[in-house]
Amino acid sequence: MTHLDNIPPAFLLIIGAFILLILPATVRKIGAIALAALGFYAISQLSEGSRILPEFLGFNLTLLRVDSTSKAFGYIFTLSAFGALIYSWREQCRLQNTAALAYVGSALGVVFAGDMISWYLFWEMMAISSTFLVLARNTKNSRLAAQRYILVHLAGGLVLLTGIILAIHESGSIDFSKENIYQNSTAKNFILIGILINTAAVPFSSWLPDAYPESTVFGGIILSAYTTKTAVYTLVRGFPGEEILIPIGCIMAVYGIIYALLENDMRRILAYSIINQVGFMVCGIGIGTKLAIAGVVAHAFCHIIYKALLWMSAGAVLYRTGKSKCTELGGLYKTMPITMVRGTIGALAISGVPLTSGFISKTLITASAESQNLIWAWLALEVASAGVFLHAGIKFPFFVFFNVDRGLRPKEAPRSMVAGMGIMAFLCIYLGVNPNHLYSILPYNEILSEKNSFYEIYIYHFDHVVTMFQMLAFSGLTFFLFLPMLRRTPTISIDFDWFYRKGAKLFYCCMDKTFNSLNKASEHIFIKKFLPALAQFIVVAPATITVVLLRPVWQESLNPDEDNIKKREQELIAKFSSGTFPVAYSAIFILIFIGIIIFIGRSSS
Amino acid sequence: MATKKKATQEIILKKDTKTKGKALKEKSQPADNPYISSSFWKSMWIICGISIMLEFFIHRQKHFEELESSVLGNMSNWFGFYGMFGFIACSGCILLAKGLSVFLKEKEDYYDDTP
Repeated sequence: MTHLDNIPPAFLLIIGAFILLILPATVRKIGAIALAALGFYAISQLSEGSRILPEFLGFNLTLLRVDSTSKAFGYIFTLSAFGALIYSWREQCRLQNTAALAYVGSALGVVFAGDMISWYLFWEMMAISSTFLVLARNTKNSRLAAQRYILVHLAGGLVLLTGIILAIHESGSIDFSKENIYQNSTAKNFILIGILINTAAVPFSSWLPDAYPESTVFGGIILSAYTTKTAVYTLVRGFPGEEILIPIGCIMAVYGIIYALLENDMRRILAYSIINQVGFMVCGIGIGTKLAIAGVVAHAFCHIIYKALLWMSAGAVLYRTGKSKCTELGGLYKTMPITMVRGTIGALAISGVPLTSGFISKTLITASAESQNLIWAWLALEVASAGVFLHAGIKFPFFVFFNVDRGLRPKEAPRSMVAGMGIMAFLCIYLGVNPNHLYSILPYNEILSEKNSFYEIYIYHFDHVVTMFQMLAFSGLTFFLFLPMLRRTPTISIDFDWFYRKGAKLFYCCMDKTFNSLNKASEHIFIKKFLPALAQFIVVAPATITVVLLRPVWQESLNPDEDNIKKREQELIAKFSSGTFPVAYSAIFILIFIGIIIFIGRSSS
Repeated sequence: MATKKKATQEIILKKDTKTKGKALKEKSQPADNPYISSSFWKSMWIICGISIMLEFFIHRQKHFEELESSVLGNMSNWFGFYGMFGFIACSGCILLAKGLSVFLKEKEDYYDDTP
């Protein structure tokens, strides 16, 4: 299959997505799953190097830049899509199938793009296609959320485009590399902000918990994986070792915990937990050492799997009960035990419990902070590790599956959903037990070559297992000790979206008051006062001038009787105001007017 | 055979009344105040105890050896640091969230009149 070596996987999925549009339901669903599997296979066949260089706007694009980083992201993107498509066999509709595959395809486009133009084009395609996954829920809230989502992303895209144009203008090269981006500091800053908007970095974070929980069950799983992780990938490519990312990542990690603790909606808890986890990755990119970058890629890989699993279990609950608020859920372990067990595996994996995938990836990033003696970053990451167990590890499964019995007795999730969750749960544990399989596909994996076996991680470094176990045990104890304080209320939390949701209304009011009062004043001055005065002037002025000019003539030629002259004046004014002149007068005026024009024309030439 | 069937039916009935009783007990709990059994608490404390005890049997790799003057760096090597850290970090997060909830929590219809 050497010909697969020269096909960008993005094209496979995007073209396939549009072909699926016209196919009948069952073929379409099988086709979607097959496309994801084919994408995975195609990526495994790609040999390293840059190729496919079509010309665009006078530049040679690079549609395929293959190395271990892009391949690792490519594998997990297609694997996650495969699991999500199996999971949502029942739920898929034409729109969602096409939107999801186009979204995954564009994410792959970004991952394999070697130049900034194709990166930007795929980046925008991602924003547009993902919006349909929010719209597909077809409720008033989802439509409004989709509107806000696309506006934020288009704004972010414009910031990114500004940076890209500045960078290309500075260097003359479209190469998507750190060296090229760093040539102009303004370009670098614009590009960094454009990417950070997509990573949901504080304060550009609120679009994520605003839009994702409003999507469909299937949409939530797909959305949870791509936009933020593609942004993480571009940071790995363009900004490794950028120090500002360390505090940004730490703030994201802690912010995610605090808001997840405040939240009542289970899918919103998971959305905030994405920000918390992406915070780890952003911090790791800021640290920028080989170990940190390997850790970031590993964590992105594992995160996509356990986060998809958590969204799947939350989706199954939403599918069966139609509810997503913790205040309305509880006691579901009785009738949805399989969903509960698989959701709990995801919760344990995200918490970094030993023998799960979270443990083997998160520890790489904290170890890299420690090896660089970044004590505050290390401390923040450890707080985030403990906190993630609180909100995603215990709070999510506890409030959804246990807590108080609210009399809900839904059926277990459909078979396809159980199968999808099974694949992801298996991967969570498989990667946790066989870390070498994941470590072998990471960039800079040579530094992990001696520490990648089960023995090395769990037996030789048993002290790490114990310390992690200790921290998680005490975090769990704290959750139950503080349980009365964590009682859910049917409320929402104010986030940064306040500025553009309430702010938009305030802006509208201010603009309304300012411009409408200006409008009113203008109407009063110009329409009601000035225009009538002007109209009056236009009528009266020529009449008055004519009267002034004719008065001496009348006085000479007529009987200088004042009454007679006044009568003539009134007649003239009446003729001016009604515009009715005898033909001779009109002809004379026209002649005078033409004479003036000829005179002006001659004098000017 | 008939007696066997009766017996199994009785068992099922007993089970039903048991679960109903449990459900009633749970329903009588005030809203959002879950019942946590004493055995669960016991097991929680035992797990925490074991996690501390295990530290006696391992040799912990030292953190931040190059930062001798750093108080935090030294603290991270204390016995039981991770347990204490887990407790302090989590209770800190919960208290911070609780404190912020005064300013941040709003009714669900808060954004209803906005675009």
